[in-house]
Amino acid sequence: MNLPLLLVLGGFIGLDATSAPQLMISRPIVAATLSGLAFGHPAEGMLLGVILEAFSLVILPVGAAKYPESGTAAAAAAAAYASVAAPGLDAPVLFLSAAFGLVWERVTGATVTWVRRLNERLVEWRPSPGRVVSREVERRHVAAMCADFLRGGLVTVVGAVAGAALIGIAAPIWTLRAGAALGIMFVGAAAMVAASLPLFGGWRERRLAFSLGILCGLLMVLFR
Amino acid sequence: MFLRSFAVQGSWNYRSLIGTGFAFALLPALREIYRERGELDAAVERHNGLFNSHPYLAPLALGAVAAMEAEGESPALIDRFKTAIRGSLGTLGDRLIWATWRPLCLLIAIALAAAGAAWWVVPVAFLVVYNVGHVWLRWWGFRAGLREGRNVGEKLRHSAVGTAQRGSSVVGAFLVGLALPLLVSGGVLADGMGWEWVAAASAAALLGLRRGPALRSPLAIVLVAVAIFGCLTGLLE
Repeated sequence: MNLPLLLVLGGFIGLDATSAPQLMISRPIVAATLSGLAFGHPAEGMLLGVILEAFSLVILPVGAAKYPESGTAAAAAAAAYASVAAPGLDAPVLFLSAAFGLVWERVTGATVTWVRRLNERLVEWRPSPGRVVSREVERRHVAAMCADFLRGGLVTVVGAVAGAALIGIAAPIWTLRAGAALGIMFVGAAAMVAASLPLFGGWRERRLAFSLGILCGLLMVLFR
Repeated sequence: MFLRSFAVQGSWNYRSLIGTGFAFALLPALREIYRERGELDAAVERHNGLFNSHPYLAPLALGAVAAMEAEGESPALIDRFKTAIRGSLGTLGDRLIWATWRPLCLLIAIALAAAGAAWWVVPVAFLVVYNVGHVWLRWWGFRAGLREGRNVGEKLRHSAVGTAQRGSSVVGAFLVGLALPLLVSGGVLADGMGWEWVAAASAAALLGLRRGPALRSPLAIVLVAVAIFGCLTGLLE
């Protein structure tokens, strides 16, 4: 595992989630694909990203809410998958990586809170004589972003190393069939995609659009 | 200033929220307006307080405040303006972007993946579609703020933002419907899924429709519990 590369990738993903520029490379579907690409498993990274994204769809970063940070966790999970998996789609390892990602996002979410507390101290200052206020504001703001970059990189690297170690131990003793592992993941993903309907107004308000979507989806499945 | 607005949340914290980021992003304009160091420092200190907004709508506030500063409005009036708009910019952005535009674009990506698109198509399509809307909104807000100044609230009230949100909600609901059969059938996998898993995923989708976002934590716990169970049974064998 190329840890310096993962540190930089995780840094950018962590930075993108809140600090800058919020282009959404921090979404699991992008972060896991990028991490998978960096470590030679882009398709499996994307698949892992789809599963973790389904679970992240309903998380809304509204106001000062504390929430799991799924982007860095997805990058760590994809890197862990890449370091343990056999060539091709290794369903049990993918399942274990997804489960690890769902646990690790709690840890990464906690580190976001720590950085925000650190920022409180960074930006609460009194101008001292001789200091140029405008430059001090710039300096402290950039310092806060550097701290967030470092946080993102570190939680991704630590997560990937811890994840690879845990999955490396768990995968050989795993008993569920590959088909069952994939099935359970897709059952969970389907439930979470359906659970996102309230974001768009819910069943009562949007039943027509939703039903039309179901119909089109069924036709696509039939004619594939 | 527009480019700096992308980093407006860089020092997000629980006390002043994006206050320092606001001052950071506004600095190029303040440097143009206040040539004396003392005046500039005083202006920066005024803006380095509590402020909040959705990050994508912060350029609207930045543009408006820059225009007001350039027009020589009083600091008290500018403060009142910032206090008046911060709530609505936060709420509007949360509803329009976090709760509608972002999940909509992600559902496009999930539907593409479930329809069997190549691995690179999925994130690229998401990033392109999402960021067209994202960057446009920032640029529109920035221009509107600069042009309208303190009257930007009026402009916002008469904009098509509300209609856009309703329209996006309809498309989003359609995409939830579209993605479900594709996902349930295991379209993202080369071999699809067995009928028993298709049935289980269909039942899970019904449960998801019924329970909504509250289902997330219990479901994540179940997934982790299955992972632990799979390992423990292996150890016991």
